[in-house]
Amino acid sequence: MQKSGRKKISLFVAHLVLIVGCITILFPLIWVARSSFASKVVIYQSPPPLFFPLSLENYKEIFMTLPFHLYLFNSLYVATMTTIASLIVGIFAAYSFTRFKTGGSLVPFGILATQMLPPVTLVIPFFLIARIANLFNTRILLIVVYMTFNLPFIIWILIGFFQGIPVSLEEAAITDGCTRSQALFYVILPISLPGILSAALFSFVLSWNEFLFALILSGKEARTLPVGVSALVSQEGILIGPVCAVIMLLILPMVIFYFLAKHFMVHGLTLGAIK
Amino acid sequence: MKVLKFKYKLIIPVVVVLSLIIVFPLLYAFYVSFHKYLLITGLGKFIWFGNYIKGTDQEFLNASYNTLILTASVVTLEFMIAFGLGLPLNRKDLKFKNLYFIILTIPITIPPIGVGLIWRLILHPTLGVANHLLQLFRMPPQAWFGNPKAALLTIIGVDIWHETSLMIMILLAGLTSLPESPFEAATIDGAGPFQKFWYITVPLMKPVITVALIIRMIAALKTYDLIYICTKGGPGTKTQTLSYLVYRKGFRFLDMGIAASLSYLLLGMILVATLVIIKTIGKRE
Repeated sequence: MQKSGRKKISLFVAHLVLIVGCITILFPLIWVARSSFASKVVIYQSPPPLFFPLSLENYKEIFMTLPFHLYLFNSLYVATMTTIASLIVGIFAAYSFTRFKTGGSLVPFGILATQMLPPVTLVIPFFLIARIANLFNTRILLIVVYMTFNLPFIIWILIGFFQGIPVSLEEAAITDGCTRSQALFYVILPISLPGILSAALFSFVLSWNEFLFALILSGKEARTLPVGVSALVSQEGILIGPVCAVIMLLILPMVIFYFLAKHFMVHGLTLGAIK
Repeated sequence: MKVLKFKYKLIIPVVVVLSLIIVFPLLYAFYVSFHKYLLITGLGKFIWFGNYIKGTDQEFLNASYNTLILTASVVTLEFMIAFGLGLPLNRKDLKFKNLYFIILTIPITIPPIGVGLIWRLILHPTLGVANHLLQLFRMPPQAWFGNPKAALLTIIGVDIWHETSLMIMILLAGLTSLPESPFEAATIDGAGPFQKFWYITVPLMKPVITVALIIRMIAALKTYDLIYICTKGGPGTKTQTLSYLVYRKGFRFLDMGIAASLSYLLLGMILVATLVIIKTIGKRE
């Protein structure tokens, strides 16, 4: 009796702790969501009402003040292209590091160590070089710059995944007459698809959320969504309604993406982290 | 021989790309840090350690202090909270486990800019919901980001709200992969939950814990986005982190030389801190 009683209490405490955590997380988000659908009158009401007629005026307003469709496109384009480029380079590199131990332990470690670099350290030379090379305010520049953090990260994740694939698979392919590269394309890639997808997802999210490089290196044309959002705040003080609508725009794609891919993320982190 | 050529061919793209986009810019920044370089006048003359000496003024020390306090608080608190949430989440008899997990890991999917905006709204001194709630409970409204004494604490709080989810993900991944047998043996030997935690869970989790701490610490030392959107380093320089200081020196004061030198000092700090953590945790074995 004693043991099961204690177990029940500890289970109750566990739920309690988790629920408190969830409320802490959900409350601000629900509040912002609620305010994004509130008209100006409702927002500035004190005390704030719980129920009110929903309005889309905030969403209309943000699309009118700043070219958010452009920012959205830029973010999407840059994130996609940099992910694809990093994947292509990264898959080959990770495969080489895993199967052939190329460069010993020093080269892969060096690549991983680049994650320690503060973005500010890189932003300065990129800014100076971009001005000289006339690449300032271009999407290409952002795509290349983003690879500085995407590429090493993707390699790290993929090394974890490739290590989990038994060598016997490639050996079987080779005895069946494949060359090394054919073995890579037709055997390894299909099998490691979940790993590749999870690496791609991480890279996409990192690029989408990136702020410092985009802030410094982009002007009006190449501006990405996070930078555009921050401009809204500085210009007009805090217009609560539109800012809430903007926040919803900023986080909704990511939250949806995340729900879809939650499966891959945990798998990716486990393998990468423990290795 | 054929195999050798293949493996080197595979890494040519990576080596070329990283040399171009990381090694070369780093060397250029290093070069710039030893020259006078104002944005208006362009690359000036070689001034030995002039930038480094001029750059490490009171403001630099203040920013270093802020950065270290922020990092230490954020890493320890997020680690403890993440463990505190991860352990209950790992229980086999827990219902709604997936729902809890999804909700608890939402914050990390939000970019720091979004997080900063959300909390700027909620913690707005007059229009924010936080002060409304405080007044409901008869407590005095706070200036939050505007309070020189509490601004850094507020930033720490917001960062915890944001980043704990990442820790939870990493720690939970480690917890779920722990083997059953040591725990069962311990139960048979009569061990209580605290003993099981301290003598089995923690040692087995050491690699995961190390990775989590290092990842989080490096990211915390680089904190910039949150500062930009919440306080711009203010009030005054109370919440100015090193990354933000470098940004200000380079892109507000337009002194690229000093900015480059400070950014290298920051890089040095990160390297040292990482080595310290690795040595400390390694020693415990």
